[in-house]
Amino acid sequence: MKKRLLSFLTIIAAFTFIVAGCSSSSTGSSTKDSEGGSKNEITLYTIQSTQPGFKEWLKKAEEKSGVKINWVAAPTDSDTRQQKISTILSSGDSSVDVLEINDEMATSFKNAGWLDPLQDTVLTDDILSQFPQGYMKDMLTSAKGDIIGVPGYSGYLGLWVDQKKLDEAGMKTIENKDDFVKFMKAATKDGQYGYGGSWEKTYVFNEIATFVNLFGGDYYDWTNEGSREAVKFMYDMANTWKVTPVDQLADKYEQMNQKFIDGKYGMVFMWGTGTDYREANRYGADQIHMINMPKFEKRAIFTDSWSYVLNSSSKNKEAAQKFLKYAASEEGGLNGWENFSRYPARADVASNEAVQSDIKEVYTQIQETNEINGRPMLPQTMEFINEMGTLFHNYIQDKITLDEFCTKAQEAVDKYK
Amino acid sequence: MYASKRYLIIAWLFVLPALLIRFFTTVYPIFETFRVSFFNVNLLRGINEFVGFQNYINIFQDPKMITSIKFTVIFVVGSMIGHIVLGVGLAVILNVKMAGQKVLRTIVLLPWAMPMVVIAIASKWAFNNDYGIVNDFIRWFNPGFNLDWLVHTETAWLAVIAVDLWKDVPFFAILVLAGLQFISTDMYEAAKIDGAGPIQTFFKITLPLISKNILILSIFFTMWRLTSFDIVYAMTSGGPGEDTALIAYRITTEAFTNLNTGYAASIAIVLFIVMAILSGLSMYGAKKVNY
Repeated sequence: MKKRLLSFLTIIAAFTFIVAGCSSSSTGSSTKDSEGGSKNEITLYTIQSTQPGFKEWLKKAEEKSGVKINWVAAPTDSDTRQQKISTILSSGDSSVDVLEINDEMATSFKNAGWLDPLQDTVLTDDILSQFPQGYMKDMLTSAKGDIIGVPGYSGYLGLWVDQKKLDEAGMKTIENKDDFVKFMKAATKDGQYGYGGSWEKTYVFNEIATFVNLFGGDYYDWTNEGSREAVKFMYDMANTWKVTPVDQLADKYEQMNQKFIDGKYGMVFMWGTGTDYREANRYGADQIHMINMPKFEKRAIFTDSWSYVLNSSSKNKEAAQKFLKYAASEEGGLNGWENFSRYPARADVASNEAVQSDIKEVYTQIQETNEINGRPMLPQTMEFINEMGTLFHNYIQDKITLDEFCTKAQEAVDKYK
Repeated sequence: MYASKRYLIIAWLFVLPALLIRFFTTVYPIFETFRVSFFNVNLLRGINEFVGFQNYINIFQDPKMITSIKFTVIFVVGSMIGHIVLGVGLAVILNVKMAGQKVLRTIVLLPWAMPMVVIAIASKWAFNNDYGIVNDFIRWFNPGFNLDWLVHTETAWLAVIAVDLWKDVPFFAILVLAGLQFISTDMYEAAKIDGAGPIQTFFKITLPLISKNILILSIFFTMWRLTSFDIVYAMTSGGPGEDTALIAYRITTEAFTNLNTGYAASIAIVLFIVMAILSGLSMYGAKKVNY
């Protein structure tokens, strides 16, 4: 009898533990739900948490927005980050309220219905007019006309040169295509190269698109002579003139920057305001610095940003909107500049006296002289980028001809458009 | 009779929670994956339509998948040959009685204890032409040596297989070593008296007696190779081009980057079937080997 009772009790206990285990989390989340609507706190999925100024930024953002900000660090690897964010948004996960996403993700997600529109609540006309209009339209506006993100900064994929090498080549600046080629050839010696790139298949997209842009081509039209000329130019750099190493097909930005810092390259195209070079004591007018884009067929540059977006599944939308209003405000832009050296996206904030740096000079010159575009992206962004990168690798390694590259690139455009 | 039935019910009740967990974490996902594999699900485009066997047909028409299948075969075969040859060799060395044997066995296992992602990220640098330890080592003997391993298809294959071997051969060897230690020393002594040399002893005694052990280990190690994706995810991102994209990596990319869930599910089902057939054949083979 005792044994039977003991068995019975054990079974009940086992089931109770299991049921308790299953239900405790849902009770927790339902409690959270009931408080959720009025909770004045958000969870931010951020790429900035490893920055030295993050704590200071966070403190100021909490003070000024009046919202408590919990944060989750996004993975540093781009593939992993994209996969995680895709999973969060597509599964309706409400554990994150505001996320930072790049242009690739914005293009992919803006029509998927996973992000809340912000034009009525955050980006009112007076604020919106201060952001770069072309960029807002191309990257952050959905097919329905909803604006889904607040740009965290304005960046350019600019040309960075090693001034010592430029001096050694007896050149003052790189004004046009001839200068560009002349410098590449002059700086290529003793195992060093005139040009360095990050040609890993998902990264090389930036450089292909930049050269297509400079040659006056169209990334979506591979019958365009400018587009063909651009990839042929890149092929010649690696294989004909040998002014850039084929080895960089495996390099992402971390490898490219390390080589640039170590003096292996004369110039590179790179985003940002030179934080890596500063940290390596290689930044400066006599060392590594950004210059205006050279004029090939035209003078053109890409702009980018990481934008704050509001998860449609968020349970804390009011608080999230408060934070987003702050991010879109003058104070928000300056906070990003002061703590992350991120150049403010708003024109009025960028012209603020507090934003003082030599970068501002170059940025102003770029804004005055260049055609500025967002990068060419299609809804299936990463798939398209991967496919183009793979084709480029095959072309550079002589597995396919230029004609085959262009034909297949056009097929990819048609497939993903 | 009544009591035994009652105990049986009680036993089932105890097992039931585990069965339920198993059902929801294994059986249900398999059926759901199977179901989804017949749909064209693209989360980004909001498409969810029944397409029958189209996803399965696409697998064998997709050049990226064909490249993945090709490299997966090369990776699994190459890596498994390496595991068996190097693993058995290492196990034999570790079985030799010598000073510091225990320390040596522990050191040998260190690479296995490290996470694959960490090893793969380090390997990306290790195989770099300018900064890599691999070329530094080769340059001791051949000062003019220059090669960026991860840029060229064949060398990238070699590098991936080499890293996989570096990490997992020690574990394979330790498991083979366990088999070696069951072989009675009497047999070796008898062979020695009969005039057998070390090579003859190895092929006539050692190898036959551990062959079943090796075969069973090979089943598991082959399955792990078939499902591994972290090594190329962190080391090559499937490049150059798509040349090192293992099937499991392709599934991950289709499912989580491209959000082509239906297509990813169909690849997963094909891989599942291949693995089931391979393990069935191996188990059958293992039964046949009997020393």
